[in-house]
Amino acid sequence: MDYLQIANSVPMWLAAGAAIFLVLFQAFIFVKKSYATGKEIGLTEDQMKSAMKSSFITSLGPSVVILTGLLTLLVTVGGPMAWMRLSFIGSVMFELMAASFGTEAVGVKMGIDPMTNVAFANAVWTMILGSIGWIIFATLSASKMDKVQQKVSKGDKGLIKVISVAAMLGSFGSLVSGHLVALNNNTIAALAGGAIMLALSPLADKNNIKWLKEWALAIALFGGMFVAIAF
Amino acid sequence: MDKNKDIFESDYLPYVNRWGKITNWLGVLASFGPALVLLVGFDIMPPVSAIITALIAIASAVGINWVIEPISYFPIVGVAGTYMAFLTGNISNLRVPSAAVSQKVAGVEPGSREGAIIATLGMAVSVIANITILTLGVFAGTAILSKLSPEVLAAFNFLLPSLFGAIFVQFALMKLNIAPIALALGIGLTLAVNAGIFSFLPGRPTYMVTLGAVFGTIAIATALYKNKSVNKGAAIDEKN
Repeated sequence: MDYLQIANSVPMWLAAGAAIFLVLFQAFIFVKKSYATGKEIGLTEDQMKSAMKSSFITSLGPSVVILTGLLTLLVTVGGPMAWMRLSFIGSVMFELMAASFGTEAVGVKMGIDPMTNVAFANAVWTMILGSIGWIIFATLSASKMDKVQQKVSKGDKGLIKVISVAAMLGSFGSLVSGHLVALNNNTIAALAGGAIMLALSPLADKNNIKWLKEWALAIALFGGMFVAIAF
Repeated sequence: MDKNKDIFESDYLPYVNRWGKITNWLGVLASFGPALVLLVGFDIMPPVSAIITALIAIASAVGINWVIEPISYFPIVGVAGTYMAFLTGNISNLRVPSAAVSQKVAGVEPGSREGAIIATLGMAVSVIANITILTLGVFAGTAILSKLSPEVLAAFNFLLPSLFGAIFVQFALMKLNIAPIALALGIGLTLAVNAGIFSFLPGRPTYMVTLGAVFGTIAIATALYKNKSVNKGAAIDEKN
């Protein structure tokens, strides 16, 4: 049987569907609990609803990027795996890398040699085993990290904020650096996205323009893309 | 305030930890589903040696991120957010941006309790939005996407660098004095990796950039903050 027939078979769809159902279930119970607790600790419904709305708007751009990654995965590992893997634990870059390591280990170069059943199965195994490290470490450490954070900062709220923002600046500083030193159109996209945000964010804050706060990132995202195309 | 503290610590956190652990361990099991289908339904099992070879390759490429990422994203996404982010993936390109924008729009501080709740709400919405779009994409998308010209698809590649630039600036505006430090560390380490300075390490050591930039920035920012508070404290002492 051709590997894509197996990859796109009903049992594979069911296995992928079960995992995705679990993700949705978790998101649902966490929203319910967080919304109720948010009200109790003094967040207004307006705050929480506009947070959720802005998150929806912000999700659209990156989801388009993920969707194009889906196309690449779809042709190599079939619909169910592509659908499941991009909703579950991994990310496009990781999945493509894992899939190609998996097939190469049985002597099949992805995109060059014809895929065999065993190569496909090894890609599946590699995607699974390569990604559960994240979920295992995060699950074991989540409740402990809260205590570590309290201990390190000794409840100093100013310090907690400094550490939070420093961690994010470090993460995104390293993510953006790769594009900055590339000195190609990605560099332009990164600089333009940053520049648009630099203009819009203070503008929205100073004049308290709510819609602009919600849309600023989406505008910067696509604006940066258009500037990079124009060059 | 005490009552709020009680609800968050005595009710919210235990609930999140219990259900986060249950759902994530089920997630670990569920992720083996397709492999099990191949084995039981189609009798396909790759040789164990091939699985191990591929696992070593992928682990040396990303393994260190299994530990760095949960730690470095924790301050912004909180306890519930950590369970959710690492079950669903797409963290830097989707979950953290959603959490950050939500916190900004709601006007709450990252690292605070309110921040954790808002980040969780924002991320959950991004999970639902992302899965909806992917589901439409996987069933109808092949037809639609194959009709898009290669130019349009190539243009989408610019969305990611643009996103990283914009998110960096959003956090930079919160602490202007820390941003240049983070950027200098990021660029310096990226150039060092490109120049092959870390080539004695296994894999392609881009993780050195993340590792150095995240913990270097935290260390320098903490030192600057403590220095400032000490000075402030000294000034108050003098007045007294």
